[in-house]
Amino acid sequence: MKILIAIGGKEFSKPTLDLGMKISNSFQASTTIAYVGKKISQFSEKDVSVVHQNLDDRELYRPGIRTLEWAYDFLVSKKYIEKDNNNNFDDYLLVDEENSRMKVLLKGKNSDKIDLIMRTGEIIEQLKSEVDRNKQEITIIGGGGNKGIHSKLIQFIDSSIFVVKNYSVNKKYKILLPVNDSQGSNMALETAINFAKAYKLEVEIVSVYEGKKSIKGIDRFVEKSINKLNKNSIKNNAKVLEGTPVNSIVEHAKDDSIIILGVSPKNPFLKYFFGSKPISIAEKCNCPVLIAK
Amino acid sequence: MNESYKIISSSILYWFSQKKWFVYSILIALFLLSLSTPVGLTLPAYHSLIILVLVFILVTFEPIPFPAIALLTLVLQVVLGVAPPNEVASSFMNDAVLFVMGSLMFAIAIVHQGLDIRLARMIIYFFGKSKRLFLMGLMTISAILSSFLGEHTVIAIMLPIGLSVIKNIDTQKTDGKNAVLLTLFSVAYGTIIGSIGTPSGGARNVIMINYLQEFSNVNIDYWKWMKHAYPILIIQLLVAYFVLQFTFPSSLKNIQIKGFKKKVQASDTKKNINHLFSCLIIVFIIFSWFTFNDKYGLGIIALAGALSFMIFGMISWEEINKNTNWGVILLFAATISLGFQINETGASSWLVLKFNDLLEALPSNSFNISWSIMAIISGLTANFFTSSATVSLIGPMAIELQPTDITFALSSAIASGFSFLTVISSPTAMILYSTGLVSTKLFFRVGILMFSISIIILYLMSQFYWINI
Repeated sequence: MKILIAIGGKEFSKPTLDLGMKISNSFQASTTIAYVGKKISQFSEKDVSVVHQNLDDRELYRPGIRTLEWAYDFLVSKKYIEKDNNNNFDDYLLVDEENSRMKVLLKGKNSDKIDLIMRTGEIIEQLKSEVDRNKQEITIIGGGGNKGIHSKLIQFIDSSIFVVKNYSVNKKYKILLPVNDSQGSNMALETAINFAKAYKLEVEIVSVYEGKKSIKGIDRFVEKSINKLNKNSIKNNAKVLEGTPVNSIVEHAKDDSIIILGVSPKNPFLKYFFGSKPISIAEKCNCPVLIAK
Repeated sequence: MNESYKIISSSILYWFSQKKWFVYSILIALFLLSLSTPVGLTLPAYHSLIILVLVFILVTFEPIPFPAIALLTLVLQVVLGVAPPNEVASSFMNDAVLFVMGSLMFAIAIVHQGLDIRLARMIIYFFGKSKRLFLMGLMTISAILSSFLGEHTVIAIMLPIGLSVIKNIDTQKTDGKNAVLLTLFSVAYGTIIGSIGTPSGGARNVIMINYLQEFSNVNIDYWKWMKHAYPILIIQLLVAYFVLQFTFPSSLKNIQIKGFKKKVQASDTKKNINHLFSCLIIVFIIFSWFTFNDKYGLGIIALAGALSFMIFGMISWEEINKNTNWGVILLFAATISLGFQINETGASSWLVLKFNDLLEALPSNSFNISWSIMAIISGLTANFFTSSATVSLIGPMAIELQPTDITFALSSAIASGFSFLTVISSPTAMILYSTGLVSTKLFFRVGILMFSISIIILYLMSQFYWINI
């Protein structure tokens, strides 16, 4: 499995990096930690590049390196990377791999499953390019920033998207699995089983009846999900909510929920202009949300 | 839903989300083309203004690469009948374009020599007695160098010096954060302010000189520009110093000039010779700008500078080729060509006529109002569109307002250099922003005061000082 963790400023990225590395560790995944630097106007891109080369020559950290150094220290402190006297971050080597992508090579013995990279440009474009290049299955990103970013990531990036909002290390989380009769719910169920097994989490299945009392397809899927979870010895319960799906799920989710949803089967054009239920839930909920693809 | 349909539609939507401003600009251009030509405007003139709108949108939002915008501008000029192919081709290359090309290459060659180490030593020698004096020196040297060598050269040399003295400062504390910002802004403002000082300070200055020569037959040499602009530079520097001290109060106790001093002293003989040669070439080029400007043009002299570095083996062509922004050169060439056509077709005269009609509607129509509007529009547009592109497109209108009086043209070019509001306005602002230490909001918050004061200084100087020289 391959995982991409996108980090921004040090202050806001700790929960994202923490949860991302836990997931990565439990799935034995190879992980890319990416810092995406600010987009530079075409007028100044060469000037900025010359200045950054100059900073490298003067042994001054170019922008973004400080954040990667902080990520490296975090990985060492949590023992994801074994540190010996030969592999200080000061000895980093920046390798310009392709347009806008730079890899930080650390001297000494480091985990070959963790890559630190730096990209520059528009965030959606850069993360899409990273996933297209390395085929990561999950992209993990913080919940802050521009509101439209998450919906664009969900729509355009070819991997599951985990938006880490309001995550706390000390909380005991449970998985909230909203289901309906769509194909996406199958993917969400598989992902929820993997997560629940890895972290020994409880799963709460929720289905929403919009006006009608019951929908056969949804009932059948809920039953199938319960059976599958039981087969995997995962503690679970099911709940039926009434109202509109987005509002009901948003109201039902608590701070200690991790929502796992399937991607919407809607026409991409309709999704782009009018949004979708998973996108709205990811935007409105104040807890971590994973959209499985 | 069919999987291939999903993939294709997602690709189309992704393309649209990245290029939406290109689609919008084309739609706007098509809409304008469908309207009837405004009264008093010829068809080629109207089409040149439509291309102007298109270029403004494309350059502001950057949905397609700059070389593509440049080529589109040239193609449209011919296809829409603004000018015949040979005329477009001949307006595409002139001394201003050669200056942009030469100065970018010259800058790369200078930065490549690593002169910042020697320069830092010089600043410490003259201004190292106190930290506040050091920052003042950093700002002043940045301004003086930038006035001759251009912003992009100087910020690349001076920023490492600035970052070296602040590298160990803890930015979590207000005093430390202010010290960092004060240092960075001192370098940046010095560089921005300096670029108005001489014609070679920025491509916009050379573009305006070129336009004045072509459209009004007015010749402004290196000295004449300096006499007009340098006093403004000096006043602006003093104002900027106090504005920054007031905005970022700091004890400066964590700034480490001494730590940097030790590092500076480690240099070898080969480097010394290279530095000596570099300085000789720079001095010779600046001297040539002063003395042979009329005969050879600023562009050819700048190219000679880059050429000298290459001939003496101080920089390879590969290095220059890798770091030169060819896209920007193409774009400036295309916008200058469009600027010429806007003037030739009479579109600039028509715009000025409309502008004057608008002014007549105001209760008190005077020179001062039209000057203020023109200077503020130039300054603001430059902040959202970059200065050189602004001058290449607005320049013809500024000259048309007062064809025989250089006040308007000079004010427009100088106001375009007030890149204090947005980080996209100049390479200096963008480089400062790219450090991650300065946000767009902070840049604007400090800059709005500097911008307003600078416009007032420019007005006062044009009214009371320029008329006496």
